[in-house]
Amino acid sequence: MEEDNMQQEEEKSSFSSNDYNPCPICLGPVTHEAYLDRCFHKYCYNCIARWAKFFAAQNSQPTSILKCPFCKSDNFSIVYECEGDSFQRHYINQDPETSTFYSRAHKFRLRCYYREPGAISDKFNVLQYWKVRRYLQPNKWLQIWLKREIQALTQEEDVDIVVHHIVGVIESFMRQNEQGISKRTIEQNREYFKASLCDAARPFLMGRTEHFVNEVELFLASGLTIEAYDDVYSECLETPASSAISEDEEMMPHKLNTELPYLHFFDEDSDAE
Amino acid sequence: MQASRARLFKELKEVQREKVVDNDIQLVCDDSNIFKWTALIKGPSETPYEGGVFQLAFAVPEQYPLQPPQVRFLTKIFHPNVHFKTGEICLDILKNAWSPAWTLQSVCRAIIALMAHPEPDSPLNCDSGNLLRSGDLRGYQSMARMYTRLAAMPKKG
Repeated sequence: MEEDNMQQEEEKSSFSSNDYNPCPICLGPVTHEAYLDRCFHKYCYNCIARWAKFFAAQNSQPTSILKCPFCKSDNFSIVYECEGDSFQRHYINQDPETSTFYSRAHKFRLRCYYREPGAISDKFNVLQYWKVRRYLQPNKWLQIWLKREIQALTQEEDVDIVVHHIVGVIESFMRQNEQGISKRTIEQNREYFKASLCDAARPFLMGRTEHFVNEVELFLASGLTIEAYDDVYSECLETPASSAISEDEEMMPHKLNTELPYLHFFDEDSDAE
Repeated sequence: MQASRARLFKELKEVQREKVVDNDIQLVCDDSNIFKWTALIKGPSETPYEGGVFQLAFAVPEQYPLQPPQVRFLTKIFHPNVHFKTGEICLDILKNAWSPAWTLQSVCRAIIALMAHPEPDSPLNCDSGNLLRSGDLRGYQSMARMYTRLAAMPKKG
């Protein structure tokens, strides 16, 4: 252990005098910054990915753990392309293409979060949702949808605890409203809902929290199944520039703006009130 | 291969810069081959190797730093973890505990640390290991000191 400390001290001192932190593997300036998920030691993405691959190839037993070359702590993924609030993740010994839980739908949803929020918000009548207090009707798809959403955003498989936590916040909001405790106005009620959801989700979703909360509201207000909601989204995201789609499909989003079939019974709903 | 070469040049630069700081280790690169290095290390004080200067030979693989360098003692040394004939060194960081964050310089330091703290339970030199394991510290020390005088110190007169 003694030599480890010596090594680290030596490197620290020579690095600080150089006023830059070289990658511990190539000893050059870091290119494509990448961090290990537990100890946060910094490497070039290529260097640490090469080492992870090499290390895995040497082991007869497949392992999902990568020891940090610098401090020896156990890590599970390489985090890279950190830009503001988004980042990519490379799990050790796990090709994201073949990963069992991260489906195409997950990838699609993650892509949706890269878009400007609000790209789709005028498709659904959100205000109506709050006006007619439709949040009092439980949404049976919500839990499954939340799970996929949070998996897509965190790129973690086991998110049950987070889902449970967020469902709990939504349910307690509903209960408060059912019992008529809250004397909030429609707008206040909506703000309160979003604020408490933000607080619940922020520790897990960080920079994507607001966008996520907007999505939850939209999903609830849409009253659609998961598949139908995805369909609306994919139609919205298709741009005329993409060559793969036919003319008919190109026209669809515009038509949807005025005449979204799913929305009809929402209007009826409000008429009945 | 290009990566190993680039990294070795970085180490060479660092070694030349650091020479003054650490005078227990002198790392020299072969004139014509960046993959061949030799090192001179001073025997650590308060050990039977004190006063001796030991020569190490490094053969760096093309996969370096993913693979560890091969290091052996060129100077004869009586140590439980060094093969008496070939100079081969039994040290975890040169085998399965290798990490690409080690450098040739830090490997030298690890070897100096090994000289001061032998591991008699994984011996390459059984005679030396047995002396330590049977508790004959004096026997081990006098043997080690004798070989230090014979092989690692300038001849007197």
